[in-house]
Amino acid sequence: MDSPTKSLRSVSHHPASPDGKSTAAVAPTLIDIENLDFHYGATQALHGISLKVPDRQVTAFIGPSGCGKSTLLRCLNRMNDLIDGTRIGAGSIKIRGVDIYQRDVDVIELRKRVGMVFQKSNPFPKSIYENITYGLRLQGVKDKGRLDEVVEKSLRGAALWDEVKDRLHASGLGLSGGQQQRLCIARTIAVEPEIILMDEPCSALDPIATAKVEELIHELKLKYTIVIVTHNMQQAARCSDKTAFFYLGKLVEFAATRTIFMNPENPQTEAYVSGRFG
Amino acid sequence: MTTEPPAAAVPPPSFAIVKRRLSFFGLTLDECIQVFFGGNAFVAVVVLALITYFLFREGSQFFGQNRQNLTVYRQAGLEYVDFMRRQEQAHTALTRGLFELRMRAVVDLTERQKLSLADANQRLAGFDDYAGRFDDAIGPLRGMVADLTEVATAIKTKFTINEDKMEERQQLLEAGRVAESEAVKVEAVDFERELAPILGTKEAYLEINRALKAEFATLLQRMPPAPTPALQVEVERFKVKVQAYLDTFPSIEANLAAWDYRRPVPLWKAFSAYLFGRQWLTASFWQDWYGVVPLFVGSLMVSAVALFLAIPLGVGAAVYVNQIASAREQRFIKPCIEFISAFPSVVLGFFGIAVLGEALRSMSQVTWLQWLPGFPIAERLNALTAGCLLGLIAIPTIFTLAEDALQNVPRSFKEASYALGATRLQTITRIVVPAGLSGIISAVLLGLGRVIGETMVVLLCAGNRIAIPDFTEGLGAFVQPVHTMTGIVAQEMGEVVRGGIHYRALFVVGIFLFFLSLGINFLAQKIVRRYRISVG
Repeated sequence: MDSPTKSLRSVSHHPASPDGKSTAAVAPTLIDIENLDFHYGATQALHGISLKVPDRQVTAFIGPSGCGKSTLLRCLNRMNDLIDGTRIGAGSIKIRGVDIYQRDVDVIELRKRVGMVFQKSNPFPKSIYENITYGLRLQGVKDKGRLDEVVEKSLRGAALWDEVKDRLHASGLGLSGGQQQRLCIARTIAVEPEIILMDEPCSALDPIATAKVEELIHELKLKYTIVIVTHNMQQAARCSDKTAFFYLGKLVEFAATRTIFMNPENPQTEAYVSGRFG
Repeated sequence: MTTEPPAAAVPPPSFAIVKRRLSFFGLTLDECIQVFFGGNAFVAVVVLALITYFLFREGSQFFGQNRQNLTVYRQAGLEYVDFMRRQEQAHTALTRGLFELRMRAVVDLTERQKLSLADANQRLAGFDDYAGRFDDAIGPLRGMVADLTEVATAIKTKFTINEDKMEERQQLLEAGRVAESEAVKVEAVDFERELAPILGTKEAYLEINRALKAEFATLLQRMPPAPTPALQVEVERFKVKVQAYLDTFPSIEANLAAWDYRRPVPLWKAFSAYLFGRQWLTASFWQDWYGVVPLFVGSLMVSAVALFLAIPLGVGAAVYVNQIASAREQRFIKPCIEFISAFPSVVLGFFGIAVLGEALRSMSQVTWLQWLPGFPIAERLNALTAGCLLGLIAIPTIFTLAEDALQNVPRSFKEASYALGATRLQTITRIVVPAGLSGIISAVLLGLGRVIGETMVVLLCAGNRIAIPDFTEGLGAFVQPVHTMTGIVAQEMGEVVRGGIHYRALFVVGIFLFFLSLGINFLAQKIVRRYRISVG
């Protein structure tokens, strides 16, 4: 697999930048998916997926509806465990070399390390403050000073602090759609995960709110590894360093975003990114 | 295979969209359907309106009649006699206290000090003398009350007969039979004259009262020491009670002196006597009382027991089924719980009498359970028995609605919680239940509505004693028999005279229940509506 460059990372929202592919620096692999088969009951949703997600970069999963990209994303923090009848048929997912589907893995601990932002913003029906401190309180943190500090840090991290600092104790449901989604991101980074999974985070947002979230993704990747599922190809092109194209439960092509969009190897990829199907 | 006709031969498809409409009585089919369903809705509204109107029409006249009832109570001197009777009854209660003291003393002497019964009785001879003298002291007052009771009853009877005659005459007049109506002789009751024998005893009463005061004062001083040292506390307590009793004498005298049969009974008295009356006493030779408090308290106690059982069970089962159970368990548990409501309540009622009541009573006799309040249970049928069965009835309601409420909590809340590293228990207690809380509360309220309105079980199992349970026994009050608002209507409605005061009193109980249910349902709906907005 070819690796994206430092320069690509810094300018990746300008996909037309010409020097994208030239200077290659290898980013270490964080998530290593090998030969993964995944089943929903009798239906096989993923077929032999192998993929290496690099550390502190944005990896985008694209593909038409039902291609398995969200399923794969939800495998990464074992959210699929909540659905009856799902199972891993073969293969493994390793994060920093640890197989997360191993028998004695603490799923709770895993999910603290691998946070998730959902398609539809889903703040709890509680105050902004309580939304953000929820994860920490679960871990038994009661110190008011520490909680206050984390709230401010997370909200600043999610670029929401200035908008809500005067109404931290108002309901999270009173925010606009884009603010709610950034609140969900703040809530996720409050527990300091290493990886943030984003499942079509902007699909319910208007273009301005989308732009804000994308800007945020750029800032977040300095500290976190981000895997994002998106339907929006411009978004994948703008935000991501690497892109994986899925079709019918199979990984068709995985390469640097520039390659996928400018010079794909596979004709199916080419057809999809150029809008001829999907 | 058929050969296709040449394209030119195909006629243009007809655009026949105009159709003659079917019509019945000048209405099209659509309009008929509209009339049919509209009619159904209309009938429901009309029936509701009629029921409400009937309930209020029949009930509203109660208060006028109750006022009349209270007026007669005053005019015929019953009220006057009752002042004295209360004084006498308070004394009887004190005497009973003395006898209880004696019983405890006997137990103490025979069991702890191992005396024979004869010896114990001998030891208590002094105490018995005292108790006897205490009991006899009230003699003169008791005699007077008995005499006056007769006089007052006679006046009341006379008045009632008169009323009946007046009504008869009125009916004859209305029927146009003037001559016959003239023949009905009505003697107006001259209360002034009739009451003379009662009011004439004022001096005698004061005389008796003076003697009583002196006697009790001496008795108080001569109180013998307790037969056993352990009971000394009780003796002191008794002395305090006697002193308090003596202190009520002046106010009784003042009441009697100020009493005037001509003073009118205000209308609000008719309301307050109903709403705050502590007695529901009908077909009495002396005076009928229609006080809703014992019935209301009975209903509340039974409902409290029911909810105490049904809330944890119903909500707990809902949480389990909705959040934890596997699909197969869900398919088994849900119908099971919902099946409870398929039992006719009369079946649950006789189950309560035959099995539960008996089981509770025999359980209450187990030695190591005696620390529980109210144990051993004296009555097989009581608020607890009825409440347990009502709880069973409320469980399906609470379970089903609470489960719905939990089901309505968006899945995304749960996912978000898990994604932040919450365990299942944390997700349930911190996210799912709080988010569904208003739905759960309204489920509980609707369960309460179901319980308050339930009739058959309470009629069969609550014991049907119309009295406010003795709350001095704390939680033990819950194992005493009670009567309920629904039970009384079911029990007495069949036997009352149509249009009589008792009949109307039952209607007012019905109105009371109506408002109670209405209020509960209104509250439940309001809470649910707020909940919907909050989840948005």
